[in-house]
Amino acid sequence: MSNITPLRRAPTAGGVGGGGRGGGGGGVVGIPKVTAATAGQKYHQHSTSILKTLQATEMLDTKPVLPAEIIATILDYLPVPDLLRFARTSRRYREMVYDDTRWVARLKSMGVWDEAEARRRFEDAVQRRRQQSVSSPTTPVGRGQGIPTAQQQQHHPPQPAARRESLFFDADLEQERRQQELLQIQLQKQQISDLRDGFETMKVSGGGGGGGGGEPPRDVEGLLLVVDKARSIRGQARQEYGRIYGALAPFYFDLARAKTHTDPLVFKVFRDPDRQARMLANLRAFAKSDWADGAEGRREKLEGMTGIFESAVLREFEQGYEFWDVDGRMKKYAHVLEVLNPGSSAGVELFIQKHPIFGDREVLANAMDCVNQAMADSITLEPSRRFFEVLGRKVNEQSGIIGRIFPRPERVFWGFVDKVREEIMVEYITPLFDDAHQRSIPSYLRAVSGIFEQTMLFLRTLTPPKGGEVDQEAKAKEIALKIFEPHFDMYLQDEIDTFTAQAESEVGEWEKKLSEQEATAESFYMGSFANRQADKKDFLTSFKKVVMMPVTVLPTSLGLPLGSPFASSKPAAVAVAGNGGLSTPGRAESPVPGGTPGDRTSSPIPGKAFADELAAKAALMTSRLEGIKSLFSIEVALSLVHGAKASLGRVAVFIQLGGQVGGEAREMCETIFVTLLRILGNGHVKPGFDKAVTHLSQYNPREVSEHDKGGVAPLVTFIELVNVGDLISQMIDVFYEQQLAQPKIADRNDFLDPAGMAKKKFEQMLDESVAAGLNKGIDVLMDEVEYICATTQSPTDYNPGGITAPDSILSGTIPGMEKAPAPKPPVGAIDMDIGPSKTAQRIKDLVASHTSMLVGSTDKSMLDVFNGEVGLRLFTAVCKHLKRQRISTEGAIKLIADMNLYFEYIRTLKNKDLLAYFKALRELSQIYLIDAKHAKEMATIIADGDRFGGIFRAEEVYEYAERRADWYQVKREVERAMYGLECCVM
Amino acid sequence: MADSSSSTKIVLESNEGARLDVERIVAERSVLIKNLIEDLGEEAVMAEPIPIPNVNTPVLKKVIEWCKHHKNDAAQSADDDNDNRKKTTDIDEWDQKFMQVDQEMLFEIILAANYLDIKQLLDVGCKTVANMIKGKSPEEIRKTFNITNDFTPEEEEQIRRENEWAEDR
Repeated sequence: MSNITPLRRAPTAGGVGGGGRGGGGGGVVGIPKVTAATAGQKYHQHSTSILKTLQATEMLDTKPVLPAEIIATILDYLPVPDLLRFARTSRRYREMVYDDTRWVARLKSMGVWDEAEARRRFEDAVQRRRQQSVSSPTTPVGRGQGIPTAQQQQHHPPQPAARRESLFFDADLEQERRQQELLQIQLQKQQISDLRDGFETMKVSGGGGGGGGGEPPRDVEGLLLVVDKARSIRGQARQEYGRIYGALAPFYFDLARAKTHTDPLVFKVFRDPDRQARMLANLRAFAKSDWADGAEGRREKLEGMTGIFESAVLREFEQGYEFWDVDGRMKKYAHVLEVLNPGSSAGVELFIQKHPIFGDREVLANAMDCVNQAMADSITLEPSRRFFEVLGRKVNEQSGIIGRIFPRPERVFWGFVDKVREEIMVEYITPLFDDAHQRSIPSYLRAVSGIFEQTMLFLRTLTPPKGGEVDQEAKAKEIALKIFEPHFDMYLQDEIDTFTAQAESEVGEWEKKLSEQEATAESFYMGSFANRQADKKDFLTSFKKVVMMPVTVLPTSLGLPLGSPFASSKPAAVAVAGNGGLSTPGRAESPVPGGTPGDRTSSPIPGKAFADELAAKAALMTSRLEGIKSLFSIEVALSLVHGAKASLGRVAVFIQLGGQVGGEAREMCETIFVTLLRILGNGHVKPGFDKAVTHLSQYNPREVSEHDKGGVAPLVTFIELVNVGDLISQMIDVFYEQQLAQPKIADRNDFLDPAGMAKKKFEQMLDESVAAGLNKGIDVLMDEVEYICATTQSPTDYNPGGITAPDSILSGTIPGMEKAPAPKPPVGAIDMDIGPSKTAQRIKDLVASHTSMLVGSTDKSMLDVFNGEVGLRLFTAVCKHLKRQRISTEGAIKLIADMNLYFEYIRTLKNKDLLAYFKALRELSQIYLIDAKHAKEMATIIADGDRFGGIFRAEEVYEYAERRADWYQVKREVERAMYGLECCVM
Repeated sequence: MADSSSSTKIVLESNEGARLDVERIVAERSVLIKNLIEDLGEEAVMAEPIPIPNVNTPVLKKVIEWCKHHKNDAAQSADDDNDNRKKTTDIDEWDQKFMQVDQEMLFEIILAANYLDIKQLLDVGCKTVANMIKGKSPEEIRKTFNITNDFTPEEEEQIRRENEWAEDR
């Protein structure tokens, strides 16, 4: 027994609530509970007193008393009349019954209690009371309601007067809003039933319903509105519920008792189906507040009756439908249905299901027209456009009709559209796609994108009935998504596959053609190159214009379409490629930022002038570019970009759908772009560059027959290539900006964005190729320079007075060249021309033309490096050349002129370091001008390091001095001056 | 004696000291006992009878009878209890018969159900009481529930008129 203590304590310690409840029970109702045993004991103890005996007997009769909570629970199960009768038993129970929460709960269950409204009313009341106490202590008189208010006060002594006053005043305001007729009836009734605690209307209706039986109450409209007019007032919930109960209970219980559907009072009192429906709806709401025993059965009965009524109404609606009685029966019964059961879709479904549009021959077009009316393997979207046009017209027609029939037309309308989608659009689209897919993939792709555009257009042109708050755009997207989702994955896959295949085949085809020409290409391009040399400058300038134009335009006016300059310049090429018909409509319909789709073909004004000029130039360009055609083709690049653009345009329309599909479409756009770059870059441009570099490295100036045209063929080709590469790069950039960055497909600032990364990689690849090529190019260029120096520099140039014989070894090395560059100055005659020598001129031209070709085509920093390298190498070459010459004092003038020429040229490169070298060279050339007599001064200059800016050391200058024609005459003098001086210094 | 845990016997002790053997599953209709077993552990509960000090033997027997009949009912969770009460389900036939007892016993059952925390039994009891009240006049109600009338006749009439809307349907 030791562990019984915790056990005993447990029930209370466990805190299940039972103990607390039981404990509260004692003090609830009057006489305490006495069990039989205790009573018996008492009886035994006080048996002497008869009075006590009587008392005890009475106590024996007493029953166990239930605690308040249980009483409250019991009250919940009581029907309303019994509940209120219970209130009459004692004050305590009246309080319990009148408890506001009990009635609020009932109102809530009916769905007519608005907590926010209740709070507002309460706050208003408090405020008004405050105002009242300030302004006037008397009861406010509002529209004749003052009298009953006063009466109320008299009859409610237990209630605090102020509170009731304020609440009634509140009620007055509310009642002012009521219909005038209702007010008048009320006023009448108030005079009669002055003590009715504000239940005037109920009294009337209750009496009418109960007493009269079949006789309709006068205030029929009030009965119907009783639920809608229910107010949420704290402390007044019982009265409010009473109002409703009084109006509806007679009908409700009558209906519950009714045997057949003709019996219920509802259908007798109200003959009008609209009112019957309203009443039934009210009763259904009311039934929710019926918690008493048997409520379930009553509710079932009510539902049954409502069902019978509803189907009857539906039948009427259907009949009206058959006669197309839009404004008559259809409208009427649609409203009845709505009133009866808000949110029910019975009538709506009937309307949609049976709608004649689904059998309309005019609408149900044959989807195959799109395929059949087009040429082989193609597709025309004209029939589908007509289809959507007709459908749009019909649906919009129906929109008006739906607006006339249904009370909430928008829901019906979208339901209808959804059905149209399911029955008509999907039926139209799916076979079309399937067929197109079987016939040819390109037309399938076109069909999907085009039909999608048309669908969106169709959905956007729909005019839903007025008064709706549904977002049409969102709804349109939702519907479009439903239609296209099943096709979407396949479409995307096909799109990328097609593009990849097309691009690869294009590159492959081009390569194949190239390899066929390979044998003839070499000679052809070497031969034809010479003729084109004259046009080179013009060619490059026009080229640059083509390239620069879109770039300069880009940041300011984005209206200029990328495609148009290229498209107009290359219509033939595109058409030949077989995608002309494919890309044009796609592009015409693709959304253009800052311009309507129609503007696509006719570009805005600034673009127009350019476009014409470019069309001509680009045509020229094509013919002139034949030389580098064998390396890579701008044509191919253009058509690839076109293909990508077409694909992108088709896919991009899906992005607007948003969500997962939109995201996938966006990804697909980027993938297309990445694929484009991959094929264009690695498949096309890079091999071209590689080949060009190979050509360059194989170049040997001594093997080439013609040198007087002022250019190194492979290098020029290469530089042209750089330009083309740059053009392509810029094209890609513009393409990226316009097609991806502008429509927000790719994020320019996201460095992990696949499209951006691919673009960077492409540019990098291009730069690397260019750099590698230029490296080789410089070698080649210098080879050429040296070659020119060696072959064309006449010995008499710098030594007009000297005899050619000693130098014949130089020119003699290349016997073939002997006659070509005929020595210009007549032998023996002193050339008085103080201009630069022909050789220098040619070298300068050669170098300048090559360096200038690159301007604007590559990176500035790369260009600087290139120029610097070229300059330095030129310097070395010139120095080397100089050491081979013999220079007389007379020839020095020419030499100085040459050096000046170089210097001037180098100055245009704007490279300070480089300039120093050539400045030194210029200074150096002056040592040849010094007359032999002034050997001493010459020695001073030779030793003067500062003079040459540190470029030449004294020893080097001395070496150059040795090239003087009269060196052996002055040598001793100079050396003596130099070393003598040195000795003195030492 | 069944051996499985659900049919383990538990001993309940009424306020008069009478001990009643109950299957555990039956006893657990009472949330109070269920929680008790959970809190103290099975062994402790098995070892000693559980005292039910507020309930006398006949009532306890009656309650156990109800629990036995309803032992396989779906246990009510405390949350949907409120909603269920609103959704008035009518009293089933067996319960109706079960509640055909004198009023004192009925009240005792209700009190016991309340103490033992047997929601469904409490509901059935309350509904039965509600049915008893139905259709009775205030005076009859007072008699039934032993209520002292503390209204003046005028006051009572006033309440009647106030709520006239509910009568004579």
